[in-house]
Amino acid sequence: MKGMLLNETPVRTSKNFNINDITIENTEVADTINEFNNVTISEFGSKIMLNEEIEKFELKYGLNEFLTNQVNKSANFKANIVVDSKTNKDIKVDFKFDKKNRNLVDAINIVANDGTKSTIVIKYDSDEEVNAYHNGIIKTIAGKQATLNVIVVNFLNNKSTNFLAIDNCIEDDANINYYIIDFGGKTSVTNYYSNIKGKNADSRLNTLYIGSEEQLIDLNYIGELFGEKSNINIEVQGALKGKARKHFKGTIDFKTGCKKATGNENENCILLSDTARSLALPMLLCSEEDVEGNHSTSSGKIAEKELFYIMSRGFKLKEALKLMVRAKFNKILEEIKDDDLKAEILEQIDKRID
Amino acid sequence: MAKTQLDEVNRNIYDIKNKDNYDYKIKKGLTKEIVEEISKQKNDPDWMREIRLKALETYNKLEMPTWGPDLSELNMDEIATYVRPKSKLNSSWDDVPDDIKNTFDKLGIPEAEKTSLAGVGAQYDSEVVYHSMKDELLKQGVIYTDMETAVREYPDLVKNHFMKCVPISDHKFVALHAAVWSGGSFVYVPKGVKLDMPLQSYFRLNSPESGQFEHTLIIVEEGASLHFIEGCSAPKYNKVNLHAGCVELYVKDNAYLRYSTIENWSKNMLNLNTKKAICGKNAQVDWVSGSFGSRISMLYPMSILNGEGAKTEFTGISFAGKGQNLDNGFKAIHNAPNTSSVVNAKSISKNGGKCTYRSLIRITENAKGSKSSVSCESLMLDDFSVSDTVPTNDIRTDDVEFSHEAKIGKISDKTIFYLMSRGLSEEDAKAMIVRGFAYPISKELPVEYAVEMNNLINLELEGAIG
Amino acid sequence: MGNLLEIKNLHAGVEDKEILKGVNLTIKPGEIHVIMGPNGSGKTTTANAILNNPQYKKTEGTIIFDGKDITNKSTDEIARRGVFMSFQLPEEIPGVSVTNFLKYAKNKVTGKPVKIFEFKKELAKYMEELNMNAKNMDRSLNVGFSGGEKKKNEILQMLVLNPKLAILDETDSGLDVDAIKTVSKGIEMFKNGNNAVLIITHNTKILHNLKVDYVHIFVDGKIVKTGKQALAKEIEENGYSKYKNLI
Repeated sequence: MKGMLLNETPVRTSKNFNINDITIENTEVADTINEFNNVTISEFGSKIMLNEEIEKFELKYGLNEFLTNQVNKSANFKANIVVDSKTNKDIKVDFKFDKKNRNLVDAINIVANDGTKSTIVIKYDSDEEVNAYHNGIIKTIAGKQATLNVIVVNFLNNKSTNFLAIDNCIEDDANINYYIIDFGGKTSVTNYYSNIKGKNADSRLNTLYIGSEEQLIDLNYIGELFGEKSNINIEVQGALKGKARKHFKGTIDFKTGCKKATGNENENCILLSDTARSLALPMLLCSEEDVEGNHSTSSGKIAEKELFYIMSRGFKLKEALKLMVRAKFNKILEEIKDDDLKAEILEQIDKRID
Repeated sequence: MAKTQLDEVNRNIYDIKNKDNYDYKIKKGLTKEIVEEISKQKNDPDWMREIRLKALETYNKLEMPTWGPDLSELNMDEIATYVRPKSKLNSSWDDVPDDIKNTFDKLGIPEAEKTSLAGVGAQYDSEVVYHSMKDELLKQGVIYTDMETAVREYPDLVKNHFMKCVPISDHKFVALHAAVWSGGSFVYVPKGVKLDMPLQSYFRLNSPESGQFEHTLIIVEEGASLHFIEGCSAPKYNKVNLHAGCVELYVKDNAYLRYSTIENWSKNMLNLNTKKAICGKNAQVDWVSGSFGSRISMLYPMSILNGEGAKTEFTGISFAGKGQNLDNGFKAIHNAPNTSSVVNAKSISKNGGKCTYRSLIRITENAKGSKSSVSCESLMLDDFSVSDTVPTNDIRTDDVEFSHEAKIGKISDKTIFYLMSRGLSEEDAKAMIVRGFAYPISKELPVEYAVEMNNLINLELEGAIG
Repeated sequence: MGNLLEIKNLHAGVEDKEILKGVNLTIKPGEIHVIMGPNGSGKTTTANAILNNPQYKKTEGTIIFDGKDITNKSTDEIARRGVFMSFQLPEEIPGVSVTNFLKYAKNKVTGKPVKIFEFKKELAKYMEELNMNAKNMDRSLNVGFSGGEKKKNEILQMLVLNPKLAILDETDSGLDVDAIKTVSKGIEMFKNGNNAVLIITHNTKILHNLKVDYVHIFVDGKIVKTGKQALAKEIEENGYSKYKNLI
């Protein structure tokens, strides 16, 4: 497909800044979606219902109409996850792309009923050779006083294409915590929308990304605060090397009526080469007086002083760099309680920074 | 806390309308004939006439902005782009016709000229009616005159710089400006000359359903230094007025320019202004900007740091009240090693007004060792106003230090209580906090303008909060 | 002499929670009163209720100051009538210098124009007495001040505004011995036969250098015991447990 436009921001800025949306030339969009069988599902008490008809996803944003339609019409993996017991229930869905399982179009619907607590891990991994194509939608709803953690892990190889749209809705006193580990794909495009509807609703999004070679990472995160005393936190830590490019678009939108709401957005990009490019548009939109919003972004290389200090303790440059990236990522990593997964992420960081 | 609201604040002196008593007013609209007629009325040399006609073609080709405030209320068929006042260019206030002179008197321009300025220019509608500069500067080779005189007397300087810093194709309203521009100031500061007092140009638009398109061209030669102030205001009419000025600044190696603006256009004005500066090696341009007026404003001064070690600072405040949509900001392009930019932007929204901070910081591949730090703060004074922050940060090399911070919120109840416990009324407490919020900007202005700005803040707050 | 402050059966709280459950307190000119009590007993609420902080709601009772009912007056009016409160956590006001703030507040409290030269002289004198850095005069109010500087700045404001009643809400907390001495010195400078001081504290150190007329013990929103200076000493030695059992 030629010149596909996607991931538009909710508010436009000057066209010349090249950040309102992205156009991906010659996208390898899979036309025929065959079966995808290499998936492992581990259930720890919760129930996952596969291949049931899922109600058509109506997304407030999504990546674009074409990709949303593709999921609605031709998904080759559908899962309905309903968390309905008050004891801790976890699910792990592990997709592995290979020669026989090249294209995945997945529709995942997660409903965390009132007062439940659960963690869902969704992992996309591939072997080195496959030219993987992934287009997915994850829809999450947290009912009153529910806590839902979703960990999305993208370990695809650097030839692959990764499209992901997330749409969530948070009721009174509930919270949804997303962790997005976005490491793979020649192109990796994520759209995240959070409807922070309820009173005291809390939305947290933590992202780690690494871009190397000619990877393009496009992140378009939107949080709309409607509920009184609701909150959103967006924390994004990343590192770029080679000729990688990252577009970060983060919008916190305080809607009229969200009295005493708070919103924080922090984005930090470590530049590990002089050909990497970091583009950011951190937006704060506000039509309510009684709120507190903050954002901060920063970019730059690792300070010489810090590197020198670490190297003076006997580390080689590459090791020192890895250590510094790990250190920056640690704040998010330490919140991931699954030790095996954490170890895998660390291993991937080392591999990809190398 | 009950809110007492007045629909329209009396804007005092700014709102005094003179009779629309022009010498010549071109018919409304924008056609080739109209542009040719303006050129004829202004006795343009051929080269300038050609620039105008080419710009008109560009204008017709370019599309309206696809972002920012809605400009659909602008109808060029309803705007007279050239209004010549009944006054020639004078170098003595005594020769300026009474009604025009009275207006500038009330704005305090001749008084400020006596005490704290090195030179003054005053434009009324489309033409400059007064221009004067201290004699000793003339002897040092400083040129400060209206643009028309510059086109006639310094054609080479103008030709080499006019619409070169801001290309005609930059956007639709730049093209419009180049087609119908009139008035404005030209400043040339020779190598090594440092002015210790500012020059000021004041722009007053009196005529209803008209536009002002002044062109300001400033060249600060190597090692020279200048502080330039522009002020603008207009009385309010029911129909749209348009301001599409253009400011081009050339700050050569080791030179310094401070460009201060107090913008207080009336609230029927569409202010679609373009300002750019090009900085040489170790040069510095500082922008200080207070934006109070206009119905819609789209203004993003730009510093292009082309020389190694060039610096820029932007310090600005926007204050949007009822019916106002102020979309302001700043752009910095770091194009050379070790350049730096510092941005301190503030905004206040009240009574349904909307402020947007929109910006671009681009650090290119050539700009190794550069630094940029941006801070934005927005204050919301009620729950039906709007404040948006839309910054773009484009970092294309690793050896940089870039940071951006933004905050949005209201005045805290605790702070108000603290001040009230010291005897201040709620209104006084809020006004004190707002003035304190604006202080980093007002302190950068010469004292008379800081006073004017505080008066404007009080004017804006009057009756609107409490 | 008549009463300067008279609090009768005051009930007040935050949101739906009642904190003060019937406080009675009378202060005469020339007196120094001290309120002591465990955390959450209602000391700070009393101070805020006197100043009618909108965040604290009064449900019952009256506050008479200088013969007038001020129960529901606005905070600024109460301040202008001569009540001052030193805050536990003074607010920071960027862009407003200490001098300008005090000049403005003095003008509001006295209703008279402030003569700048004399005012600055007075300010400099007080700052010297309080061991304050003269440079702070031109700094933004409380911005970047250390904890001690903020507290001294509150005392400075008290001296400049010269109220009839000064309420010092834990002005001594978090201060070192020298700073506490400075605060006591400020109180002594302020104190005369016509005004009064109400000190809210956890800590008896600040009382060592002052002659105190009454000490009130607050427990659970009420005064459970009133005594002379000796009561403070007793608290210093034995704590509040004895008084907690009274309710």
